[in-house]
Amino acid sequence: MALALSVGALCLAGKIAAAQDADLRAPSSAVAGHAASIATTGSGTATFYLVGPSIALKRDVHLGEELSLSAKELQSAGKYVAIVCAATCRSVGFFVAPTKPLNLIFLVHPSRAPVGQNDVVSGVALPFDEFHNLVLAPATVDFQLSAKGSAPVSHQVLTQNGIAWFHTNSGRTAGALQLTAAINDVSARRVVQQVASDPCSLRIKGQRTPKGIVVETEPVRDCTGNPVPDGTVVTFTAKDGKDTSTVDAPIKQGIARAQMTATGSVVISAASGVVMGNELHLSAQ
Amino acid sequence: MIDRTQSGLVAKVVAIALIAVFAPRYSTGEDTTPQVVLNTSKASPRSVESLTERALLRDYEFAWVSLEQALESNSTAPLSGLFAGSADAWLNEAVTSQRRSGLTSRYLDQSHKVEAVFYAPEGDMIELHDTADYRLQVLDGSKTIHDEHVVVRYVVLMTPGADRWVIRQFQAVPEF
Repeated sequence: MALALSVGALCLAGKIAAAQDADLRAPSSAVAGHAASIATTGSGTATFYLVGPSIALKRDVHLGEELSLSAKELQSAGKYVAIVCAATCRSVGFFVAPTKPLNLIFLVHPSRAPVGQNDVVSGVALPFDEFHNLVLAPATVDFQLSAKGSAPVSHQVLTQNGIAWFHTNSGRTAGALQLTAAINDVSARRVVQQVASDPCSLRIKGQRTPKGIVVETEPVRDCTGNPVPDGTVVTFTAKDGKDTSTVDAPIKQGIARAQMTATGSVVISAASGVVMGNELHLSAQ
Repeated sequence: MIDRTQSGLVAKVVAIALIAVFAPRYSTGEDTTPQVVLNTSKASPRSVESLTERALLRDYEFAWVSLEQALESNSTAPLSGLFAGSADAWLNEAVTSQRRSGLTSRYLDQSHKVEAVFYAPEGDMIELHDTADYRLQVLDGSKTIHDEHVVVRYVVLMTPGADRWVIRQFQAVPEF
């Protein structure tokens, strides 16, 4: 009888030991991708849960021991809740911070920009660590811009809320503008194609031929001397007394050419975009 | 033959039963609609257009509704089309691991105070700071193992998709 009572008392004590509440101490400065541990008090077995931005796990643990959290379990930065349930459930919350930048997202606009424009090129850089966490700690981003025939330009910008940005003018010469964003040895490169702006001045010349009037432009350039892209349309207008006729001609190899019909005195002009050219006065045939 | 006292008692019982059946659910149920307030006055370098502001508010609120549904039902279907990139990957992993562990979570009584802090010059990205106030419940099967009122600060990156703004990054921080 005494033995049975003793065995019963021991069993009851064991159950009480397993059911003891646990206190938890969270890791003080957890970093993404680094193992950490949670200290527990008490004794006996319990169920441990970890709920985080990309994880929800459950496992049996022994109280009074340190609960190990693997590097893989703590890859995502954000808020975690650690819960231990024995007789009752206790919990503690903690944050996992991003690690150092290993990738730079670099958004640049536009892909093609006309030359000689103010603040037409912009770039936004965001640093991420190897686990795709946005690094919010301030970091200096070095933006470098270089184009053929121009000295490289550098802007250093401190990230705010994980972002650094800039805007700049396009250059005077058509061609590729190379842009680089870098934090220490992490960098990203983009290219903006600088293209000619609108035609700056139009000069035309023409002459009568047996088939009509052949009129053509001189090489069409923008105000900084860049040849306007082939395909840009030039509109030729011929006024012959009361009649007016127009011909649209695309620029090919820098020159637009058209053939017009008119027998009497005629005034021919040209326009492209908002630019008007000179007038040609041709007398009657 | 039923006397007046008995018929009055029966009528009262029937009335109480009818009220219990047809009483509005929300008089005792939990509010599942997030309350979202969005302030874009401090967004820079680009100002947020009023139509964009409306779209952001609509899509951000809907994203939270879907997130709650996904984590409560352990289904990734509600997340479709509302999240992209890391945010989508993380939430999908959260749902998958919940399912594997037999856990579910609930985000109840949500209230979000959202501020736009950065809007890219070309309008292709926006950063929001969300001070989210909600009740977080974690359940193991049918047993509630965690029930806490929390205020959590989120840094959120959104980009415009085909027909809505999507959440690309969704990261809780101790402070802004």
